[in-house]
Amino acid sequence: MAGVAVVLPYLIEGAALVALAAGAAAVWHKRAQTQARDAALARDAAHAAALAQAQARYAAQQEEAAREHGALAAQIESLRAELAQRRSVADALEAALAGERAHHDDAMQQAARIASEAARLKLMSSTFERWHEQMISLMAQNNDMHKKNQELSSIVSHVLIVSLNASIEAARAGAAGRGFSIVAGEVRTLATRSQELSKSYRDSLNRNDLITAATFQDIQAGGKMIAATLASVEASSHQLHTQLEATRAGAQA
Amino acid sequence: MIGTHAKDSIERIFFAAARTRLVTDAQHGCEIAPRVGEAAQGEHLVVLTISSMQFRLLLLLHFEDDERTQRYYVGDAARELTECFMEFGNLCCGAMNQQLVEHFPDLGMSTPYALSSGCLPYLRELKPDYVQSYALTIDHDVRLGATLCVCTQAPLDFVASSAAIEAHDSAGELELF
Repeated sequence: MAGVAVVLPYLIEGAALVALAAGAAAVWHKRAQTQARDAALARDAAHAAALAQAQARYAAQQEEAAREHGALAAQIESLRAELAQRRSVADALEAALAGERAHHDDAMQQAARIASEAARLKLMSSTFERWHEQMISLMAQNNDMHKKNQELSSIVSHVLIVSLNASIEAARAGAAGRGFSIVAGEVRTLATRSQELSKSYRDSLNRNDLITAATFQDIQAGGKMIAATLASVEASSHQLHTQLEATRAGAQA
Repeated sequence: MIGTHAKDSIERIFFAAARTRLVTDAQHGCEIAPRVGEAAQGEHLVVLTISSMQFRLLLLLHFEDDERTQRYYVGDAARELTECFMEFGNLCCGAMNQQLVEHFPDLGMSTPYALSSGCLPYLRELKPDYVQSYALTIDHDVRLGATLCVCTQAPLDFVASSAAIEAHDSAGELELF
């Protein structure tokens, strides 16, 4: 019993110490729990704040993305409209180009036709040559008539001299030559009239020569004028054809 | 139908052409004097025509088949005077044509043709609007005549620049040279 009495205080002290230690441990544990809870709460608060910040950022990003999406959609719509417009313009241009090509081909054909016509009409020079030959022939005939008229005039002059001589001889014969004198006078009158006629004929031939030569020369010069003009038309149409071909080659390239 | 400017221009063109083309040497002189009337100044005529759509111009050159004309245009060659003179007439008319083409793009010229001067009085048969004759003395010796005759179908008037005519003459001289 004594031993128990001796040990008991120690046991009580030990128990108190144990209780104290347990209490201290409980307090410490509680404090630790409180600290841990506070820390957890602080972490939660920090997380919540971070989450809210992230959510706000996300919302802002979403909003930005939505805005960008809207802008892009509008841009796509605008581009689509522009594309449609350009396609429409391209179609119109293609149609116009096809039309122009048709016009171009038509113009080339026309230019070739004009050149061909001009080349063909240049052959009319043979017609001018024919006129030239005929005029030469006409003028040769006029010259021949001039010569014949000169011959006639010479004969008439001779007849006039002969008639004068006959009149002189008739006068010498006196009364016997009176009848012959009348005949010689008639012959002289006829020769004089023939001479006048020959002169008039020569004048007509001269008039004819001038008018024929002037008319022919006008035709000849006019023909050369037409030939020169046709050559110019032919050269221009060839030039036009070449230009049209170059334009087409350029367009195809 | 033909204006005074056109008459003056045609006359100046003819003078320039005659002075350079009717001479056998560029150094030879060619005196030209207008004549009243249309009488022939030689037995022979060489006629040339320049035609356009508005008018026709006849150049008639008169010459005598005498010794000095033969000597000047034929020289020692065994050719007919008319044949030689037609070549000079052709050159003269060609020079006129070259000047006129500056004002009338559509022109043509005939070949020369020889006629008797007895034809000259009938020039009026062509109903010309302008006829003018000239007496020419080549190298102080050879005497020629010339008649310009213009028939028009439309009013005709133009001014040929003296500078252009002179420039053309110089070019012609160079060509001959």
